Formats: sequence, structure tokens, C-alpha cells
Amino acid sequence: MTRSVPPELAAPPAATAIRRGGFGRGGPRRREGWWALLFLGPTLIGLFALSAGPILASFGIALTDWDLLSPPTFVGLDNFAALMADERFQMALRNTVFYTVVSVPIGMVLALGLALALDQRVRGIALVRTMYFLPLVTSTTAIALVWLWIYSPQGGLLNTIIGLFGIPAQKWVSNPVLAMPSIIAMSVWQGLGFNVIIFLAGLQAIPQEYYDAAAVDGAGRWARFRQVTLPLLTPTVFFTGILAFIGSFQVFDQVYVLARPGEPTKATITLVYYIYQRGFDQFKMGLAASASWVLFLIVAILTIVYFRSQRRWVHYQ
Amino acid sequence: MRNENRPRGRRRLMASIAVLALVAGACGTNSPSAPPTSSAPSVAPSTAPGESPTASTGYSGPPASIQYAIWGDPAEIDSQKQLVASFEAANPSITVDVTVADWDSYWEKLLTGLAGGAAPDVFAMDGPLFPDYQARDVLLDLQPYIDREGYDASQLVDQAVEILKGPDGHQFGLPRDLNTIALYYNKKMFDAASLPYPDETWDWAKLVSVAKQLTVDSAGDGTPDQWGLYTETSDMENYWLSLVWQNGGDFFAADGKTTALTTPQAAGGIQFLQDLIYKEKVLAEPAIFAETGDAFEQGLAAMEVNGSWLVPTHQAAGLDFGIAPLPAGPAGRFTSVNPTGAVAYKGTKSPDASWEFIKFLASPAAQEQLMQLRASLPVSKEVLAGPYAQSFDGAKVFADSLSYAKPKPSFKGYEEYTTILQGELDENVFNAPNKTAADAVQSVATQLNDLLGS
Repeated sequence: MTRSVPPELAAPPAATAIRRGGFGRGGPRRREGWWALLFLGPTLIGLFALSAGPILASFGIALTDWDLLSPPTFVGLDNFAALMADERFQMALRNTVFYTVVSVPIGMVLALGLALALDQRVRGIALVRTMYFLPLVTSTTAIALVWLWIYSPQGGLLNTIIGLFGIPAQKWVSNPVLAMPSIIAMSVWQGLGFNVIIFLAGLQAIPQEYYDAAAVDGAGRWARFRQVTLPLLTPTVFFTGILAFIGSFQVFDQVYVLARPGEPTKATITLVYYIYQRGFDQFKMGLAASASWVLFLIVAILTIVYFRSQRRWVHYQ
Repeated sequence: MRNENRPRGRRRLMASIAVLALVAGACGTNSPSAPPTSSAPSVAPSTAPGESPTASTGYSGPPASIQYAIWGDPAEIDSQKQLVASFEAANPSITVDVTVADWDSYWEKLLTGLAGGAAPDVFAMDGPLFPDYQARDVLLDLQPYIDREGYDASQLVDQAVEILKGPDGHQFGLPRDLNTIALYYNKKMFDAASLPYPDETWDWAKLVSVAKQLTVDSAGDGTPDQWGLYTETSDMENYWLSLVWQNGGDFFAADGKTTALTTPQAAGGIQFLQDLIYKEKVLAEPAIFAETGDAFEQGLAAMEVNGSWLVPTHQAAGLDFGIAPLPAGPAGRFTSVNPTGAVAYKGTKSPDASWEFIKFLASPAAQEQLMQLRASLPVSKEVLAGPYAQSFDGAKVFADSLSYAKPKPSFKGYEEYTTILQGELDENVFNAPNKTAADAVQSVATQLNDLLGS
């Protein structure tokens, strides 16, 4: 699991079986290719019809002034110029960057810690692991509704708890300073299970021999973690990092449910929320599409940089 | 927009879906401009002109099937389905298929449907959003039908009819129901404090003084356990628009596009609402009840300024409550009225049947059926003054309030405009007293005026 990043790419055992059969010249390979295509077919069709097409179309839309209802008019790069001048867009960009910069590292460190704690062979560990995974398969809306109650200024759980320590009640989602951290806390909690599972898999793929060898060399608990676990876990860190990063740039659900209606503070407007509002509330599809492309470019560039950085810190076994 | 229609919890679409929808729309950009039968309805083929003057009251076209899209809660949906059943019984050659969505997805679906040329034949339209759709030429012009049949729109509430007109004075929809704002009061709390119930003699000062007496902090922890007043600040309709008028201000200047909220009168109206929260302390900060909802409904507030749509909710909550007119301000008594209209898609294949259905929805028979819900006021003057006014305690207050009700502003670009305006007020006036109302409005005035190109 740790060796190849996307698990789907690992060769299925069936492939080896076919290879052993020994067909004619070029046969097995070609046959394999057809099989591969057959299995990839549904995904490819979906990718082209439902993703690639729309992506290209959205680029076209970004160059137009289009309200969805009247025919679009070509405006060139006007939308991009308007975006750069739009205070609300800048705010959305800042908020999204803040969300990403805070939530991704916190989420990863917590997940790693939890994974280490859960990487034990004790009774009932499966149940505990399942519990951590549950938020992930729950709808964000359901989660946000529960968190709304936790954050409620009127008899909310969080205010009740801090009240026990004499801390005055806070307005968690409507105070401009607290709103984004509150949303981050919820998101981190929600996404924790996923990263924990990946980290656990990563941890369990580290061969025991390395630890044994390190122990023989006199390495203590910390040294074993620092010198064996961490380096061999870097591929996993790399993988979860990229997913968390891309996902957090697209944060929407949490904000939409927690910080609405009435939009108590602008501190929680994110890029995708901005896109949604411009497009579907305000009839500005061209502007919305150009904002999507700015979002895409930011994510693409940072992803490339991230991939390039791999050489320096990711150790494959 | 009416807040009660915005459910807080809803599974959200992800970014990718937004992109998909963009394209779903892109595929059909040409369709809205090419409807098969558009604004000039020919007389239904089977009806020769002058054949019978009563022909206009019944549908005599070919069998048709129309789609009717609405937003609403389960009670509203049931009621609309009953209406459809009555309509189908009276017009056997027309079948109506009702599709329902919650407030947010209703507009998403409608937009993508219109863009893709697959919109419902008849759909519900929020008053303030009407110009955004009318101006984009996707609604069927009903004026030819009205002229042809001599339909008398003056039987319907004037303000509601007015809102559904295009700039050329053509009628593009008929009102289906409407809502106004009034003062709800909890009789038990008034009785407990031995205070007389609110009535039409009340003004701002009286409201403040009684609300103070009814704001009770029995636990002594600095946070009242009973609030004198509750309202919603996140939309102009719930209260602050009426306050602006009551203080002698207006939303737009005479040109209909420059903001008039910067005048001392208008800003003073908004200021009164801020003062109720932070100066008089009779109204909770919006954040307090943001998650738990209506404090009046929970029995935590003695009075509530809000819309007529809350009657069934408050009744279901088992409250013993009364309804009084909004307290008058320095410039008199005003409230706001906001209709929901029924409009037809310009590209509908059955314009005649659609018109017939829209007309039916506004008819006294349908209106009498709709008013049973108590979730809105009927649009038929006859039903309003007659059966509705007697239908429950306080209904007459709503019916009478139309005599001093002004329509909620509706204009193209409504959403963007109000997002800026309301966002500023929420952040700096109502949720925290960072600015006075006058300063807040001033800080966005240029932006607002630029939007409407004035």
C-alpha cells in the first residue's frame, strides 16, 4: 500500500494468471490491454462525459457574460479582471487559504497521533477504529446540525463546558474571529477517520524487521519512531497530504450549513461558496466559472509544487 | 426572501456538481429564446371568436399535461395537491403534475431547467425575484390572455398584482398567495404581567416600554430567560423594511434605483432595530437564537414581529397567542407585503392550459381552499375580506394590514444587492453594534448604487 500511491494501480493477481497462460506473439499484452480498457471503460466514459466535457465548457463560460437564461456574450478576460478587483473574491480566497493552512496540518498531526495510538493489538480495537471512521460516512449536513447544537450560544454543549471553568459564553459561528476556527474544528474532526485509516495502513506496512534491527542497535521508542516509522511513513503522509489539501481548498458543505442563513460573518465565505453564490444566486455564471478556473489553477500549481518536493522528503522503501 | 423557506440543513452539492450544472446549462443555451409558442397566444383552435362569451371561463383546447413546480413544507404541498385535484376535476382534459423542492434547490433546479429548455410549464415565483426572471425573457406574457378574456385583475390585491408586472405594464404572473408582517403576542405572558394586549394604538415608545416590562432575568445571570420581543434581522422583510417606512424613509429614491437608505429617516428606522437589541436590550442578539430558532415559538419571548406565514407554526406549538398591527412609527403605520406568484414558462408547449391553471390558482374557490392552511393570505379581495378575515383570531388584523402595506422591493439583481446590503447590516449593525445604521448603509451605498447603474 505504501509503495504505490493510488491503490487501484496495484496489479491485480488475475493479471499474473493470464500472463502465465502464454498466448501467441504479442497476445497476452494486447489481451491485457483490452481487458484493462474494458474495466476502465465505465470510469473513462464517466470521466470524459461528466468531468472533462464540463471542465472544458466551464472554461468557455468563463470567457462570457452569461446569466444562464439569456444567450452568453463573449467578454474575453473581463471576468478574470473583475475577480481580481472583487473584494469579496479576495476575502473568499484569504478565508480559504486560512482554512487550508490551519486545517490540513492539524488534521494530519492528529490523525498520525491517533493512528499510532490505534496501532495496537488489544481487545476491542476494531470497535474503536470503527468509531473514528463513522463521521466520514455520515452526511456533512447531519454532522453540521449536531455541531450547531454544540456551538449554540444558547445552552450549547461547548459553552456549557467552558462555563464550568468560568469562561463566558462565546458566539462560536457568528463571531468573525471564532467562526472559521469553529468550522475548522468540525472539519478536522469529520475528516480524521479517513486519514487515520490511511496512516494505520501505512504503519502496518512497515516491516517488523526494521524495528527489530533498530532495537538491536539500541534505539529507544522515540528513536525508532523518528528513524524508522516517520521516514517509512512519508509516502503515506504525502498521499494524505495531497488529498487533504485539495479537499480543503474546495470546502463548502461545512460553511454552507454552519454559517448560514443570515451569513452572520463574512469570515467564513470560501471560494466554492463564492462560486455557488455568484452562479446560482446572482445569475453570474461567467464570473462563477472564471472563479472556478482560478481555484483550479491554484490547486494545480500547488499540487505540482508539492509533487516536485517529493524527491526531497518522501522515502520509498 | 422569506427565511422560513430556507431550511438550514440540506445536503449540499459539491463544487464538481456546480461545474456539472454549469455545463448542463451550457448545452441548452439557445432553447429559452426559441419557444414553440410564445407570447402571442392564438385563440384556441376549437373556439371560434365570438362563439360564446362564456368560453373564456373554461378550457377548451386539446388535452394537455402541465408541470407545476413549487417550493414548500409538507403542509403546503398537500394543500397545493388538493388544489390541483380540484382543478383537474373542473378541467378533465388537463392533467397537472406537481413537483416540489425545498427553497434552495427549487431555484437551482429552476435555473438549470430554464437554461436547458426543460423548465416546468407553471412555477411558483417569489415576488422580489420576479424581475430577475422577467427581465431575462423566460416568462410567458399573460397580458394577451388577460386582454382576450377581459380578465379582471382588480379582484386581486393591488400590491401583489403590481409586483408581477413587467416594465411595460404587462402582467407576467398572477399572485397565488401573499404575506404581510404583524405583531404576535403571547397572551399568557401578558396576563402574568397584568399588561393589556397590544392594539392599534401602539407606537414605538409603547412597544419599547412594554417589551422592557416583559424582559425578565429571573435567574439573575445577566441573560434574560424571557425576552420582551423576538424578530429576525437577517432579511429586510421580517421587520426593518417596515421600520424604515414607519420612520418616513424609503428603500429607493424616486428614480427607483438609487438607495434612499442613507437618509436620516431610513437609517433611523434600521437604527431602531439595533437599539432594541443593544440599547433597550429587549431583543436578543441574533446569534442567541440562530441555532434554536424562533424564541416566541419556544415560549421564550413575549412578542414577535414577523410574517403571517408563522400562524400555523405558532398554533402547532400550542401557544395561546394574539395578533396585533405593527406599532406605528413617527411617520405612521406601515407593513410590507410580499406575494408568491404563479408564472408560466415562455417555452411551454401548453400556454393555454398553463394560463387556465394560473387563473384557477387566483380564483376565489382555490383561494378559499388555500387559506385553510393559514400559512398565507389569500390574494382574492373577496375571500380576504370575507371568509379569511373571520377564519381565525387575528386574521382580520392581517387582512386589514393591506391598507397600510407597501410591496417589498423587487428589482433585477435583487440577490446580489441584498447580499451586500444585508451582509453589512448583519455583520456591523445587528450581530454586533460595530457601526450605527447610518454609517453602515453609507459604507455600502456607492457599491449598491453602482450595481443598479445609477
